[in-house]
Amino acid sequence: MSAAAESPGVRRGAVYDRSYRPYDGPRGRRAAATAALYRASIRRALGLRRSWRQKAAPFVLLAVVSVPAVVNVGIGYITRERRLPIEIITYRDYVGVSSALLLFVALVAPDVMCPDRRQRVLPLMFSRPLVGNDYVAAKVGSITTILFAFSFLPQLVLFVGNMLVSDSAFDYFAGHLDVLWQVPASVALLAVYYAVIGCAVASLTDRRIVAGASVIGLFLVTSIASAVIVDNGADRGPSPGSPGALVNVLRLPLYLRDLVFLGHVDATSPLGGVDHGGMYAVGLYVIVLGLGLGVLWRRYRWVER
Amino acid sequence: MDADVLLRVTALTKRYPGVTALDGLTLDVPRGRIGLVGANGAGKSTMFRLLLGLTQPTEGHIQVCGVDVAADPIEVRSRLGYMPEHDCLPLDQTAADVVSTFGELSGLPRRAARQRASDILDLVGLDEARFRPIGGFSTGMRQRTKLAQALVGDPELVLLDEPTAGLDPLGREEMLALVARLGTFGISVMMATHLLDDVQQVCDHVVMIDAGRLVVAGETASLLDRTGVVTVDVGLRHHDLIAGLASAGVDATVVNGAVEATIEGDQQLDLVRDVVADLGLPLFRLTTRLTSLDEVFLRSAGGPE
Repeated sequence: MSAAAESPGVRRGAVYDRSYRPYDGPRGRRAAATAALYRASIRRALGLRRSWRQKAAPFVLLAVVSVPAVVNVGIGYITRERRLPIEIITYRDYVGVSSALLLFVALVAPDVMCPDRRQRVLPLMFSRPLVGNDYVAAKVGSITTILFAFSFLPQLVLFVGNMLVSDSAFDYFAGHLDVLWQVPASVALLAVYYAVIGCAVASLTDRRIVAGASVIGLFLVTSIASAVIVDNGADRGPSPGSPGALVNVLRLPLYLRDLVFLGHVDATSPLGGVDHGGMYAVGLYVIVLGLGLGVLWRRYRWVER
Repeated sequence: MDADVLLRVTALTKRYPGVTALDGLTLDVPRGRIGLVGANGAGKSTMFRLLLGLTQPTEGHIQVCGVDVAADPIEVRSRLGYMPEHDCLPLDQTAADVVSTFGELSGLPRRAARQRASDILDLVGLDEARFRPIGGFSTGMRQRTKLAQALVGDPELVLLDEPTAGLDPLGREEMLALVARLGTFGISVMMATHLLDDVQQVCDHVVMIDAGRLVVAGETASLLDRTGVVTVDVGLRHHDLIAGLASAGVDATVVNGAVEATIEGDQQLDLVRDVVADLGLPLFRLTTRLTSLDEVFLRSAGGPE
């Protein structure tokens, strides 16, 4: 031993073999594993702990869907002295703006689902205390959460902004109490619907580009088909709407939004004037959700494929 | 179930359409380092899937660590770690993120998972590379990351499917050294491989299967017999030794840079030692050569069980 090491007041170095330490703390089971996968999927969808390129798309999209709210509040602020009844966009309309998040679904659902299959990560996941339904719940839940947040946050900006630029914030709040449940309810219906369809389509392929194109294609094809059916039907009768409008799966959650906000389908919508149109819309919504979840359940029953 | 029995398999059969992967396998395996040996297609990977509860046996039962796999696969998985043979890592994430996420999926709290991920990556020699994306890793580093994710949940038993596949000689030696160390941490290891040298080097118990049937199982040492051949390493002076042994009536040849002499009984072993001493040769090694596991496998698989 050196003299320096023996001198009082001089710290002696030490080498530790960290080796392996067993873990004896608390340990979760399925719920904990599902929650962990849910968090990991949210991180992935938002591009967190990834390069800036992966972060750009979700946050640019959030900025885009927030523009109407900011503009509306800005104009309200500028014209607040003139008492002009300017309302660029209503809360109900804003749910329709959120349908632009379909682009986000087409981008993110494949990114969250496909690499697990393509890079063969699934066997690693399912060697944990996790079953197929947990996996589906975590993935669909993560995308639903982000869609809900991205749809709800701009509405929150709109609500708070309108409240602040109004003559009386309390009066505005008291006069718009309905919005406090209508917006979250309609946005939740939209978010679950898009998330399930996005994940179901993405589960059918391990290529992101194919999955993204399929999601967009599904909505485009059904929109066009619906438009053709509705236009043909319009020539034959006085009703502005047609049951063929239900073919448009992109618009289906917006009929439910109408039910939440108005109690009936909007008369000017493609389904307007159709007897029991709201009921059909709810029924089809449930069927589409059921089909999507059925596809997901079947795809992740086993991990062998 | 005996506490020392890690794995109990009873009349285990797994049939796929047109092929029987495992056929009536019955065995008890003790804790420790176990080699699951067989040619490609022998049923090793199927065995692992059955142990993890990822597929159901056609007939028979499996108990892992005293838990019936069919009754509680989740409990079994919470006690196991699994390192597949194939590539299975998300290439765009860092090793730290991946191992930490799999720690959480194993039921560890988030903070504990991150801490353990750091420790385990240090243990497998990836401490400096842990914040690099896995896509830039060499094959050896990816194998280490796969091993790390299998260990992060502190399993009782870790299943390693061909852990040295694709590694260069140095990487292979390092991986085998790591596997050998796991035993000292109280973690049992089951290593599926067709490389009998690997098993002979690190495993204290061997299970050999061929075409889904049990060939032989037992302690590695008990399967290896003395061959009546001694290996003598005297550096570069082989020919002096061969000549000396020949004059003493012992046949010898040069094999892999060392002299192999055929002897009969321990008296001739003393004779070999004396010849080396009389010639004044440096004696680096004098060992009795055992049968290899290759010979055991070929003998057992070729003959009746």
